[in-house]
Amino acid sequence: MKKNKAKKSSKMNGLPWILPAFIFVVGIIYYSIFYTFDLSTLNWNGLDPIQTKVGISNYTKVFSDWVFWKAITNTIVYFIVTFLVQNFLGFIFAAILHTKVKLATLHKCLIFIPTILAPATMAPVFRLLFSPQGLLQDIFNVFHLGITVDWLSKSNSALIILMMIAVWQFTGMSFILYYAAMSQIDKEMLEASHLDGAGNIRTLFNMVLPNCKGTIISLAMLGIIGALKTFDIPYLVTTGGPNHATEFLGTYIYRQGIRQSHLGYAAAISVVLLVLAICGALLINRMNKGEES
Amino acid sequence: MFEVRSLKNKVILQIILLLMTIPYAIPLVQMFLGSLGGTGFSNYKAVWDTGVVPTYFRNSLIITAGVIILVYIFSMTAGFGFAKLHIFGKEVFFWMILIALTLPEVIMLSPLFVTFQKMHMFNTFWAVILPSAALQLPFSILLARNFATGIPDELMEAARIDGANVRSMFWYIILPLTKPIASSIIVLTFINAWNSYLLPLLFLQSPSMQTVTLLPQYFQGEFTNDQTKILAAAVITAIPEIIVYLSMQKNFEKGMSAGALK
Repeated sequence: MKKNKAKKSSKMNGLPWILPAFIFVVGIIYYSIFYTFDLSTLNWNGLDPIQTKVGISNYTKVFSDWVFWKAITNTIVYFIVTFLVQNFLGFIFAAILHTKVKLATLHKCLIFIPTILAPATMAPVFRLLFSPQGLLQDIFNVFHLGITVDWLSKSNSALIILMMIAVWQFTGMSFILYYAAMSQIDKEMLEASHLDGAGNIRTLFNMVLPNCKGTIISLAMLGIIGALKTFDIPYLVTTGGPNHATEFLGTYIYRQGIRQSHLGYAAAISVVLLVLAICGALLINRMNKGEES
Repeated sequence: MFEVRSLKNKVILQIILLLMTIPYAIPLVQMFLGSLGGTGFSNYKAVWDTGVVPTYFRNSLIITAGVIILVYIFSMTAGFGFAKLHIFGKEVFFWMILIALTLPEVIMLSPLFVTFQKMHMFNTFWAVILPSAALQLPFSILLARNFATGIPDELMEAARIDGANVRSMFWYIILPLTKPIASSIIVLTFINAWNSYLLPLLFLQSPSMQTVTLLPQYFQGEFTNDQTKILAAAVITAIPEIIVYLSMQKNFEKGMSAGALK
């Protein structure tokens, strides 16, 4: 019966409905991707009438470029740390705001506002905040702690600061998702757990956390994509420095392609990034399928 | 949902929450205090008197509106087509769009840089609108399709028996019933387009065409690193966004969470 109906409505031809969007997306994106492949075999600055074909030598250069590997390690470290911290905080915030606390809306807004503000707008604020002229330094001075806030100019601390900024920016996202997931948990199940004598914290980690598995996977996907896309904050706060300590693939592609006019080389890094992004998508798709079955 | 009964625990929880939230407020406090450094509120006057702020806002509005219109039209029609209509090789089309779901925009930097230069598209809004919309569409189409799939076939059948053609089904059934997902798509697109930085940085080099995300850089040149004025500009840029969020809080939260659900 149902099949029959589906068949009837499927007689209407849908091609004209999807074609405009399809041509638009495929036209722009596939054009860019194939053109990137083409550019990646050239030694070219993007303007010169002379282009030199260099085959795969841009790629061999990429894989022996220490800055590229630095960018890859930074991306991995950045993903793991921000994912863990952000999810922990978001989860705890969601649980606390599900109890009857005072001023819940105010807290919710404060956590969520960073997710909607443009990183480009906030970048000058962070440059000041983490400089000796900033608010943190003032606070440390009040307590005579003798700490100098110059972390952005030190290569061993700059990445940590960028990760803190990312956590500040995206906790609201994980908070909102955990909050929504927790609203859907069966209340009777929680009651039963309480009757069994389990305390709030045990219930939270033994009953609630496993129920948020889907949310964790979604956030992992957003985290991986986000880490691969990272550009605005490192570009604007540290310009990838000092000495490439906060270099990411995005900032390195920009540095090579636009700043130094090595367009072919930038295209080769872009191709590697593309492969990584597709691998990330496939990996998550698999995790998701494993979850369903 | 979780009950905390004793007063002592309630107070402890409230304090923990406060301590956890304070770090989230610090950058906002820094932004505001920093903008008042030196000459106080006249920093704002100095920023406003340059006369460029409305231009930057106008440009951001035009670009954001352009992206939203394209994404809305294309995602609604394609979502309907993929969910409800017969298309030969539908899965292939869908899969080809979905591949672009996780594409970082920086990948398009080299090819678009060359292409837009050849086509003299630098300093046009299209150079930002077209790639932004194309990058936003795969996910929006996925959302719209998933949502439209949930609309009962019986409804479409009944309309068809009443003599409705595909276009009126789209107009009178799909569009009204997909409003919730449409609002999520619009919110997500709005945030991404308004906050977009890389594409305007690359393609909008004339100050009269630039967007609010490039405002700090403009003032860096204008006030030769007078941080207070740059922060005053940041406050001016942030306030409208915060107001839009506060007045549409529910839509924003729903839209952002649609960003993660498949």
